[in-house]
Amino acid sequence: MITNTVLFAFIIGAVSGLVAAGALAWAKDLRLKMTWWKWLLTISWYLLLNFSVLLAFTMMGEGETGAGLKMLLFFGIITFILGVGLARLLWMGRKKPVSS
Amino acid sequence: MTDDVKNEEKKEGSGVSRRNFLKISGAAAAGVQIGAVAGLGLAAGKDPATHTGWQHLGDNTQFVDRQSLQMKGLPYQEVGPVRRPEEVESPFGRQRLMMKSMMRGGMGPKPERSRRSGPFRMTMPPADSFAEPLAGFYKEHPDIYELDKVRLESIMPKKREDEAKYGDYYTLINAWSASWMAGQPIKDPPEVSDFRIGNPMMGRGRKIREAIPFKSPELAAELIKKVAHHFGATMVGITRLKQEWCYNHGLRGVKDKGPYEVPKHWEYVIAFGVPHQWEQVQSNPNCGTSVDAYSRATIAARRLETFIKSLGYPARRHSPMDGYDLIAVPILVDAGLGQQGRHGIIITPETGSNFRAAFVTTNLPMKIDKPIDFGVNDFCKTCKICAEICPSASISFEKTNEKITTRGYRHWEINQASCFNFWMQSMGGMGCRLCLIACPYSRKNNWAHAMARVVDGHDPTGLVNKGLTWMQKTFFKTPEAAEYLPPPDGRFANFREPPDWLTVGKYLDMKVLKPTKGE
Repeated sequence: MITNTVLFAFIIGAVSGLVAAGALAWAKDLRLKMTWWKWLLTISWYLLLNFSVLLAFTMMGEGETGAGLKMLLFFGIITFILGVGLARLLWMGRKKPVSS
Repeated sequence: MTDDVKNEEKKEGSGVSRRNFLKISGAAAAGVQIGAVAGLGLAAGKDPATHTGWQHLGDNTQFVDRQSLQMKGLPYQEVGPVRRPEEVESPFGRQRLMMKSMMRGGMGPKPERSRRSGPFRMTMPPADSFAEPLAGFYKEHPDIYELDKVRLESIMPKKREDEAKYGDYYTLINAWSASWMAGQPIKDPPEVSDFRIGNPMMGRGRKIREAIPFKSPELAAELIKKVAHHFGATMVGITRLKQEWCYNHGLRGVKDKGPYEVPKHWEYVIAFGVPHQWEQVQSNPNCGTSVDAYSRATIAARRLETFIKSLGYPARRHSPMDGYDLIAVPILVDAGLGQQGRHGIIITPETGSNFRAAFVTTNLPMKIDKPIDFGVNDFCKTCKICAEICPSASISFEKTNEKITTRGYRHWEINQASCFNFWMQSMGGMGCRLCLIACPYSRKNNWAHAMARVVDGHDPTGLVNKGLTWMQKTFFKTPEAAEYLPPPDGRFANFREPPDWLTVGKYLDMKVLKPTKGE
């Protein structure tokens, strides 16, 4: 079991790098005016999303399917609301496209 | 990088350049990843959960799929007449037959009983002088006769000499080995039985040897805890035994079951225990049992008692299957294994209330542990899940235990009479154990529950406590207290459905009536 966990962590670590690079590319393409605290908020929100999924599926894995689904719904709604708020915040400082 | 982006970055004095961010985060991620992989690798190597067997009670220990390895034929060939094995073919059987023949047949000097009695030697009689079937076997196998002769005439005397010379070097492994054969019934009072050692085949056994001194009480405690874990104890603690924790009646091994003096050699008590098996403990009260953990705790106690006696110290086990001369909960608290909960039983930081205890009393000087506090008192004030779920309403709803006093101490106390009455109504393995598994501390040791326990234990505001209790009551569906009662008032409900291997319908071809409320 722990061996699988090690392999899982290794893959997730590699994927995390890709996620970070992808986030940068998205921010560039969307012309978001990102600052350190906006990145911090974005990463926090992403961790909350991961936490919600992880918690819910851990409960399901324990055999507490009902509790897992309820938690997914509960934390999912919270994550969604916070995500909308974060998106509005990031959009507020968008740079205008440079005309050629 | 395009000119417009460069220009934008130049304008942002307080911003972070994308290139630098990518470089820093990439390097940090790589560092974290390497550190995590190193840490997990260490954990993978050390983690006792990776051991197979004892730690994983369940069907996950046999992890290789044998279906794919099955052969079409047999891996051995029949090349002659087949028959069942004879005793004389085994070295152990031959040893027995040989000694029997020599002892009863007057074939040589009687072996002395003490193995350290000097250069005692025996002579192997001629092969044809043994009784059958040994004589015939030796005639047919002269090479084996020679090997047996070497063993009797050379190897065994040399072994006795070696034991006299080097035996002390193996004191602990001998004690360890003897412990696994433990299990003599307690038939004599402490001043006799605690000072005798043996196994179930040895009657009342022999007197223990002279006590071997330890280098320090700290090292004695360290060794005792280590071997207790290896004997099967999940958690171990040591404390001094208070007189008031001993029953005032029914001392095991004496005919007079009235009041008795606590033996003077019960200075210390080693407290330990094990949890119930996870799958079935959730099926309480009607599809669970107490005796799985009782049995494991008892076996560990028998082994530990024998180990201590093997080192020359008197010892007596107190365990579910062999009986107790003392009460469990206060000793577990004294020994720092956990705290008492609202339901009156112990809550440990590792397994919550899912814990069954055993003890060994002794005079072996050991460093003692101290009681612990990981927030149970505060948690129990607001949680009350055990009280809400209790089918016999035996658990108090009071906010604190300030008004509850028993035998001179203030502590949580349940209504034992009504609790016992529900035990007698329940089905399956009898008993209840609902409070034990409903306790929020009795959760799995995965990241979610472990994190909850740690965070709650370090939150002075009580908010985490309230939040966790709310989550437990809101997200987890559990039958109401009355549903655990027998029909018609209840339906013999269980905290969770039993695993398939405890479900009659899947394996047994018999008609069963499922209990239903109202019937």
